[in-house]
Amino acid sequence: MSIELRRARSRQMVIFFLGCGGMIILLGRLYYWQVWQSGSLTRLANSEHIQNQILNAPRGLIYDAQGHLLATNVVRDDVYITPLQFASDFTDNYPTELSTEIHALHQVLPSVSEDQLRKDFGFSLQAVRVAEQIDPGQSQRLRNLHLPDTFLEPQTWRVYPSGDLASQIVGYVQDGKGIYGLEAKYNTLLAGKAGSFTAETDLNGNPLTVGASSEQDAVKGANLTLTIDSFMQYFVQTSLQDAIQQLDAQSGTVIVLNAHTGAVVAMAGYPTFDPNHYGDFADQKGCIGSEDVYLNPALFCDYEPGSTMKAFTMAAALDQHIITPDTSINDPGYLNFSDGTPTVHNWDDEGYGKETMTQVLQHSANVGAATVATWLGPNRFYPYVERFGFGQPIGLFQPEDPGGYRTNTSVGWSESDLTRQAFGQSITASPLQVVRAYQAIANSGVMMQPYLLASINDNGHIVTTQPQMLRRVISAETSQTLTGMLISTAEYNHITLPGYSIAIKTGTATTQGLSMDQTEASVAGFLPASNPQFVILVKLDRPQKTIYGGTAAGPLWRTIAQQLLAHYSISPDQSQ
Amino acid sequence: MYGSRAWTTATSPKARSEASLLTQRRRHMHPSFFRMGPSALCITCLLMVGFMAVLYLSQVGQVVAANHQLQDIRNAQAALERQNQDLVDTLTREQSPAYIAEQAQKMGLGPTMPPLGVDPKNLWVVQVSHLQEMGQGDGPLQP
Repeated sequence: MSIELRRARSRQMVIFFLGCGGMIILLGRLYYWQVWQSGSLTRLANSEHIQNQILNAPRGLIYDAQGHLLATNVVRDDVYITPLQFASDFTDNYPTELSTEIHALHQVLPSVSEDQLRKDFGFSLQAVRVAEQIDPGQSQRLRNLHLPDTFLEPQTWRVYPSGDLASQIVGYVQDGKGIYGLEAKYNTLLAGKAGSFTAETDLNGNPLTVGASSEQDAVKGANLTLTIDSFMQYFVQTSLQDAIQQLDAQSGTVIVLNAHTGAVVAMAGYPTFDPNHYGDFADQKGCIGSEDVYLNPALFCDYEPGSTMKAFTMAAALDQHIITPDTSINDPGYLNFSDGTPTVHNWDDEGYGKETMTQVLQHSANVGAATVATWLGPNRFYPYVERFGFGQPIGLFQPEDPGGYRTNTSVGWSESDLTRQAFGQSITASPLQVVRAYQAIANSGVMMQPYLLASINDNGHIVTTQPQMLRRVISAETSQTLTGMLISTAEYNHITLPGYSIAIKTGTATTQGLSMDQTEASVAGFLPASNPQFVILVKLDRPQKTIYGGTAAGPLWRTIAQQLLAHYSISPDQSQ
Repeated sequence: MYGSRAWTTATSPKARSEASLLTQRRRHMHPSFFRMGPSALCITCLLMVGFMAVLYLSQVGQVVAANHQLQDIRNAQAALERQNQDLVDTLTREQSPAYIAEQAQKMGLGPTMPPLGVDPKNLWVVQVSHLQEMGQGDGPLQP
């Protein structure tokens, strides 16, 4: 073999190996992209043309007893601008175009100043939100204008068409989650279940029917129907607000229950809030002891029930056959105890002399109630306090303050506690507990569980709440006797309605450490007394113009009772 | 089928000569498709592939058009749902007791006692004898 041929062979070999090396490098590179980086590149590619969308479930609606909407959803647009894109689109005549754009935006969105818009366009950002939750009319005007580099982003919002109506019952929604009230308690039911949608998309992001796609439908939230009657709720709310303003009171609560079922017909607190603008009420205080206006005072704001408690003391003694309505005592206006228990005085320091048990209620005599409590003794008094539901949570929704009291088994208990609890001191209860206890008296001694939810409609599956009996607290006979005594008390206090019998007890509670004119005035009772349909509690905190239950809360109680009778066409049970 | 017919024909040697039988058999076994030259066959294949491609693209085009229509319908549905929600919201607002009271006051109507009640002092209850109650009488109300 010649040298030239050998050289040629060598060159061929070098070229061959170089070719092989190149091929190996290319194969390595191919392996790197196709195998090593396959996962991340596939993800990147899919993210470009596959849309994975979460389908939000529409939140369930809330209705009142008559089917009026209390909470619903609407779609409102947020307005965005794209400052960087705008700057690159109009490099030649940027100032002129910017002025035109800002002027047009300001014309549609007068709440956003031109200075603010100019500032927003100055940001070096891809997108800036300039307005939130604009009106449908504004949305349409913006769509018609076709402004460059401005777009609308639809968002679903929870709205409450009746404003502050029953707001402390319903609560509100923040970032898709129920806060306070029924929105919080039934959040899981109301929220439903989000779905998903995956599909290949075109250049505009529209999903294509060609190619693989998968869709899991969203399950919309359950609709709730409440026992609340919007008309009565509105009447109660506005009447309470008027009464508080007229009497220069601090706050107040009104509850109306169905006497037979325990259904809540109306439940109002003042001050209250508008759930559509809940943020504006963040600094506002609620009832006494509450820093928060969003809490429901009927459940959360416990108080010393005062003389409204005397009805339960009498109920216990009547049920134990210790007294009859005509049992009499001598009331000198005070009651001393030999064991060192502090002396009990009547609220007006008056002595009524010989008075019957009915008169004890009429006079609201502390001495009479304390005497009955000593006759009962702790072993017969406290079981009744417990059966009437004091100190026990009701569970309508959270937060709730069930109040409390000391019994003869509690540390530090003394006879003084017993005698004071008999007329509503040294014991705290929520307004709902007090009205529930009166409901038991009205319902022949049978206590029903108060409830707000009439039915749940979970996508066609309807669950209706049945009235639930809790327990028999007193006998039907005791209930009837006590009702007669409470009717006399209403007449004595001049809280009457022509043609109707009314059974009530007033209460004026003072707080230790505060002056005697800082009271919590209340009236609790039911009507028509012969066949009770509604139980009503009115409580006003710190009224200034008049401080007593009968004079401060009494007129409001009567106004609400009268409206209930008219609204539900209740026949008179008495001849005039 | 061709084969079967050919063999059936071939079973009658008395009628035709052997040569004509072979020609006939070839004609039956090789239809015009197989008698094409390679160029013609290629062109035919290309035409068929082209036709299939046009057919496929036409189908895809129709699907894409349908997809656009579907998108339009979905958008219209969303807009209608949104409009419906707005109308329900407006209707509920205008049926709310607060709105009705406000409108009534604007019309000059007002309660005789704040906010909507009647003064009990001015109220007379007229008892009418022999009237029968409507509904269930003593039964509990369902508010």
